[in-house]
Parts: sequence; C-alpha cells; structure tokens
Amino acid sequence: MAEIVFGSNTMQLLIALILVSTFMILGSTRLYSCVRAFGIQSFLLACVAGVVAYSTGKDEIYIIAILTLLFKSIVIPYFLLYLIREIKVKREIDLYVKISPSLIIGGVLVVISYYLIRSINVISELSSFALSASMSLVSIGLFIMISRKKAIMQMLGILIMENGLFLGAISLTNGMPLLVELGIFFDVLIAVLIMGILIFRINKTFESVDTSMLKNLIG
Amino acid sequence: MIPALLSVILQIFIILALSPLLSGIIKKIKAFFQIRQGPSIFQPYYDIAKLLKKDSVISQNVSWIFHAAPIISFAAVMTAGLLIPIYITQLPLGFAGDLIAVVYLFALARFFTALASLDAGSSFGGMGGSREMFVAAMVEPALMLSIFAVALNVGSTNLSYISQTLSGMGLDALSPYQILAFVALFIIAIAETGRIPVDNPSTHLELTMIHEAMILEYSGKQLAIVELGAMVKQLLVYSLLANIFFPWGIASAESGIAALAIALVVYIIKIVIIGLTMAVVETSNAKWRLFRLPDLLSISLMFSFLALVSFIIVKGG
Repeated sequence: MAEIVFGSNTMQLLIALILVSTFMILGSTRLYSCVRAFGIQSFLLACVAGVVAYSTGKDEIYIIAILTLLFKSIVIPYFLLYLIREIKVKREIDLYVKISPSLIIGGVLVVISYYLIRSINVISELSSFALSASMSLVSIGLFIMISRKKAIMQMLGILIMENGLFLGAISLTNGMPLLVELGIFFDVLIAVLIMGILIFRINKTFESVDTSMLKNLIG
Repeated sequence: MIPALLSVILQIFIILALSPLLSGIIKKIKAFFQIRQGPSIFQPYYDIAKLLKKDSVISQNVSWIFHAAPIISFAAVMTAGLLIPIYITQLPLGFAGDLIAVVYLFALARFFTALASLDAGSSFGGMGGSREMFVAAMVEPALMLSIFAVALNVGSTNLSYISQTLSGMGLDALSPYQILAFVALFIIAIAETGRIPVDNPSTHLELTMIHEAMILEYSGKQLAIVELGAMVKQLLVYSLLANIFFPWGIASAESGIAALAIALVVYIIKIVIIGLTMAVVETSNAKWRLFRLPDLLSISLMFSFLALVSFIIVKGG
C-alpha cells in the first residue's frame, strides 16, 4: 500500500515542494520569510497526510491532516510572528555560515541522506524519495539550529526536524495510531510554548535573542 | 506540414512581432500594480520605429567592435530563436543544434555586448560590463544544470523532442525534478532578462544599472537594434520556460493550419501569463544589492542540483 501511495505522481510533487520550502528557509535572511516558508512547508505536509488519508481510506489520518493544517501551518507560525513582533527583534537573522555555503551544505545533506536511505535495503524503491526527503529535513533542521544565531531560528530548526520526522513516520507506516499522533502534537505545541517563554526570558536577560551572547557571564 | 523556408520566415516574423508587444504588456501590468496609467502596450514599437529613423552619435575612440557588436548580438539571439520551439515543435534549425547551442548563443550575444561596453572607454560602460559578467558567471552554470535536469528526464537535449515528449505525456509530465528545475530556471530567467531583484530595466541610476550601463553609448539605429535584441531575448527565455515546462497545446510538424493557429494563441496566452508572473515578482520585490546576488543565484544552482539528485533518487539510479 505504502508503495502505491508514495510512488504516485502527486506525492512526489508534494515532497519536491516540501524540499523547495526547506531551501526557502535555508536561503532567506529575513525572519518573516523564514516563518512564512515554514508555514508553507507545514501546509504541504498536511497535504501529504491528506493524500495518504484519501488513498488508504483511514478516517483518523484525515484528523491528523486537519490538525497539522490547523496547528503547524496556522497557529505556530502566528505564534512565531507574535513572538518576533513582541520582543522587537531585528528582522535579519544572524548567521554563522553565510547563505551560499549553507545552501551548498543543504544540497550535500540531501545527497548524504539519499545514500544513507539507499543503504537500508528493506525500503522499497518507491517510498525512498519520501524517506530521504524526511531524512534531509531532519539534517537540514539540525544544520539550521547550529548555523543561525537567533534563538527563534533554533526553534524553527527543531520544528523543521519535527516535520521531517512526521514525513518519515507517515511514509513508513501510512499513518501511525491516532493516539500516538495526538501525543506528538501535544508535545510539539507544549515545546513551542516553552521555547517561546524561554526566548522571552533570554530576551529579558540579555536584551537580545542572539544565542552567541549566552556564553557571556552575567553577574 | 509547412515547407522549411516558410517555417523559418514565419518563426522570425512571429518572434520579431511579439517581442516588443511582450515588453509593452509587462510594462502595462507593472503600471497597473503601481496604480499608474502606464504607456500603451504598443509603445515599444513606436520607440523602435522612432529610433530607427534617427542618426547615431558615435564616439571617436571606438573600434569596429562597437559597430559590429549590436549586429552580432542580434544575429546570435535570432539564431537562438530558430533553435527554440515557439508555437510548433518543428524547428527550422533543429538539425544544427540543441539546448547547449542556445546557451552558447546567448553567451555569445552577452560577450559582444560586454565587449562593446568596454570599447567606448566610458567608466559606466566598464562598470556595466563587469557587473554583467559577474552575474553571467553565476547564471550560466545554473542554467546548464537546470537544463540538464530536464534533458536527463526526457532523455534528449533536443528542444523540439523535449517539448513534443512532454506535451504527449499530459499531466504526468509534472514530475518533482521538473518542478525543481522550473524554480531554478525561473530565477535564471529573472537574471537573464535583467529584471528586479537582479537588475532594474526601468532605471538609469548609475549605482544600480547593469544592462542599461552597458548600452549607454549607443544611440539611434544601433540602440534600436540593441533594444530589439534585448526584447527578443526576453521573449525567447520566456518561450523556453513555457515550452519546456508547460508544453501542452504546442503544435507538431504534422498539424494543419487550424491547429497551428490554436497553438499560436495558446503560446501567446502562456507568454502573457509568464510575463504577468514576472511583473508580480518585480513589483513585490526590491532590487538586491549586487553582492547579495550570489545568494539568489546559488539558490537557483541548488534547485537545479536538487532536480538532478531527486531524478536519481526517484529513478533509483
């Protein structure tokens, strides 16, 4: 079943577009456009879940798709935008690695994840695109976390990793049990909330959300 | 079935007739977004007609390159036009070259324009030429890579074969590598046609201009040829986008007159839609600093690279 769904043309298109949105996050220097690209990515992920639900006929995956649409592509981006507005952070993201090298590293990560996935022989040929895309999302999310200075971008990086895991889970299992998915959703929401509070605290203590300043001692 | 000579003449005529119109339409759409009236969509025709009536003022210091460059560039671009499917997949010069020839013909045109900009010895010209080459050095690898992604998908670098195959596949032609290559080629099209965020076509501000700085020394008939060459190149780049990625509705060599007419109308609609998209991109973006352009073009390079990689992943190579 998984082979048919993930080998289909629509699915491959959606996954390619998810990769495009990931590179949009990697390639932009503005916080707003990063958050917007994340919203688009989550929307596409919801579409993936919707297609899986449609082709497997399981009702609970529809619920998951709607939840993804609601929380990941609307609530969380709005919360992030609220955060950016509220702490009056400068709109540029500060980088440890410049845009062009980060893009190239992103491309290399995609290739590496493809080779890693290919070495697992259990996977059928057709869903390997989805799996390697999910693997690249996880590694690119990690890369965003370590190469960007702003705390908000680190939050976004972990959310991208979570999206990658979601894609991987849904492409391997064709939808996990509803209870597990709900648990993950709740976790993500709480995590976003806690990270938001943490960012507020960092901003209050250091008057900046630049994580490179966290090394300084404050007496 | 059209005889070969007629098809050459027809294609040249259609390219020359449509390219000023396309420029006019884009200007009008931009004016609409900026809540202006804007010039008539036929203004580029009037401009060129007027320039053709005027004499050229030429610097005393220029060599033959300055005189030859507009003609060589124009000829190179028109030759490329005979290698790109416009409304019919039967190419007048299809036997002589493929995609790679198109890329190099564009490069030839650009090379001579840049050379002529240096020839007059004005500082603006040199600045424009160096900027153009700076952009070109990044555009060309990305253009090559994205075109190869498409060629790999179809299995040929022959443009007429590519559009014929893809239009025969219907909606199945929309594969992930095709989408990624389209995004890459769209960014390249912005850079190739000198639009915001890469270059601003409607400015003569010395700090920002690229193309305008190169042709600053030209006037009269030569300027008309240079301007027309730029418009033709714009039309050709858009046709490349339209007929590689959305080739549906294109006529094949066996089509009758009615099918050809329909194909021509479909082609014009496709071109206008791409022009509309370009105008939207242009009005919703600011021009980027010159030294931020490598970022934009490396995004394009990365997308073409991803197109190739995902082709290998999906096809399990």
